[in-house]
Amino acid sequence: MNWLQTIRMALKSILGNKVRSLLTMLGIIIGVAAVITLVSSIQSKATLTRMQYEAMGVNTIQIYGWGGKTKDWDEFETFLDTDLSDKINGWSPMSQFNDWDGKGIQYRTMTLSNDKSYTYMYYGNQYYGTVTNNVITAGRDITEADCTSRARVCVIGETLRRYFFGAMSPIGQKIRISGKSFEVIGVYKGRFGGKMNTEDQMLVMPYTLQNAMMTVSYYTDKQYVIQAKSKEDIESVMTAAKDMMQARCESNNGYFDAYSSSEWQEQEAAEAEQNALLMGGVAMISLLVGGIGIMNIMLVSVTERTREIGIRMAIGARRRDIIMQFLVEAASVSCCGGLIGIVVGCFGAAIMGNIMLSQQLSENMWMPEVEKFTVLPSPELIAAAFLFSALLGIIFGIYPANKASKLQPVEALRIQ
Amino acid sequence: MFGKKKKRPVPQPADRSLLIDVRRLSKIYNEGKENEVRALDDISLQVRWGEFLCILGQSGSGKSTLMNILGCLDIPTYGVYYLDGQAVSNMRPSVLSGIRNREIGFIFQGFNLIPGLTALENVELPLIYRGMPASKRRGLAVEALVSVGLEKRIHHRPGEMSGGQQQRVAIARAVAAKPPIIMADEPTGNLDSKSGAEIMRQLLELNQQGTSVILITHDNQLAEVAKRIITIQDGHVISDRAGRGDFQ
Repeated sequence: MNWLQTIRMALKSILGNKVRSLLTMLGIIIGVAAVITLVSSIQSKATLTRMQYEAMGVNTIQIYGWGGKTKDWDEFETFLDTDLSDKINGWSPMSQFNDWDGKGIQYRTMTLSNDKSYTYMYYGNQYYGTVTNNVITAGRDITEADCTSRARVCVIGETLRRYFFGAMSPIGQKIRISGKSFEVIGVYKGRFGGKMNTEDQMLVMPYTLQNAMMTVSYYTDKQYVIQAKSKEDIESVMTAAKDMMQARCESNNGYFDAYSSSEWQEQEAAEAEQNALLMGGVAMISLLVGGIGIMNIMLVSVTERTREIGIRMAIGARRRDIIMQFLVEAASVSCCGGLIGIVVGCFGAAIMGNIMLSQQLSENMWMPEVEKFTVLPSPELIAAAFLFSALLGIIFGIYPANKASKLQPVEALRIQ
Repeated sequence: MFGKKKKRPVPQPADRSLLIDVRRLSKIYNEGKENEVRALDDISLQVRWGEFLCILGQSGSGKSTLMNILGCLDIPTYGVYYLDGQAVSNMRPSVLSGIRNREIGFIFQGFNLIPGLTALENVELPLIYRGMPASKRRGLAVEALVSVGLEKRIHHRPGEMSGGQQQRVAIARAVAAKPPIIMADEPTGNLDSKSGAEIMRQLLELNQQGTSVILITHDNQLAEVAKRIITIQDGHVISDRAGRGDFQ
């Protein structure tokens, strides 16, 4: 007896009992849909978080400290350029300019002060854009020449461009920062769609202007952003930086620390994985219940069809033909349930994913580029769910199938 | 040191000229217990190729038990049974399935068609279990259905047919694989006399074409259709006589 014939026969028997088959499948449908929806939305969330971190620069380390002498910081920068050069792609200062006067930013008669919404103003060098993964959409980035010549130029974020210039080109326009005139040389694309009060509301000026903009002392915060060559280098760069600077800063009652998002990233990824396992496990229980439901119905079916089994045996079905028939039938029920469950689960995952995205949107959070992000479950997850449901049917079909095959033809034929 | 190996009784050389050769056959239920039942007691029986044999007996006489054993659906408690020279009385169930499939076509009182399948699919079923490729078995099944005059009912399900038609489907199923023996257990029991006569006519026709037919019935009148009538009572053969051999 060949496979195709067996499967055709099983499908016929399923279609012959539509309502019952559907009810039997229900357990599997719900189980598979739940596993896919839960695991997929957790995975989408994790992917979103990962993309979020990656958008802020891959393998970046933030340095934060105060209390070091100018000489110490100079030595630190040389140290980055020489001793750590084989572990570092690039670095930039990232100290913040605090607009204590509250004059904010002005363009002609328009103003934007920190009373209304906070603008991040950084001192950076020619590597700032690359290291922080900021892309220029108009004009140009800060150059080394800007830094050495202490040019009064700035690159503005998307939010400032929208606020001050709208449809107009901002390049070459003069804005006033805390009362001092700056030429806008470029615009960063940003990651938050240029909304107010997001990290897109920012600007960068050459770091060499720091002394001209404000009084710098030991206690002025010093910040750097460093991009390590690889994930593996992050730890050693952070340790080397701390070894070099921590004692020097602390000897002046200061503070020094190095952070990397990769730790949080790993932690969050691990957490997401754990969540997926946990939720998937809980949903798996309903799959198991579905499997038991299949076994139950198959047992009923064996009893109901005792006579049919007897007839089949009388005309030449062997034990293994009967086993195969019931196993394939159980597997077909669970596979059909699995397929329906996958469709329902894909809808569920899409709905959950879109709810998550709209939450992200309403919280003014970073949004991924749509073409790079999908809320649909991964093919691996779908394949695993399908295989598992098929397996479930076979496992829970073994007992009823075996029971059917052990019937004695004479006794089976006697049943009316 | 080595215990003498207990030899199985060597089957006596089989006579290939006999289709069925049954020697000292007994079927005993609950042997040795209070409720022991000797359904068949020491029966010996020989059937030649091409015979039309009737096993006649009242209900409870053991005729159904005999037919189950002759049809390889059941195994005897004692005795040997040669079917076409093969000792089938001690074969494994899966081998017996194969024997039933190749050697015997069954016709039951209750038709025993599978309700969910069409006439064609029912007739195809034994051929499927034989592992015959689809194109070949379809041809044979259609041919068998045509031979019982059901060419217009090929795609009907048993529920959509009359009793007589259902029994003709059962005949088609029994003969599709062209087995040497047809076993018919009260084939007309559930039918009106007209349909019953049609079934008997077809059995006779099959016998005339060379198939051995074993008819099991309780009906003395019906038994006369056979050329040889064996009467069973209380598990014993009480008479073995010639029948009229035709049907009016």
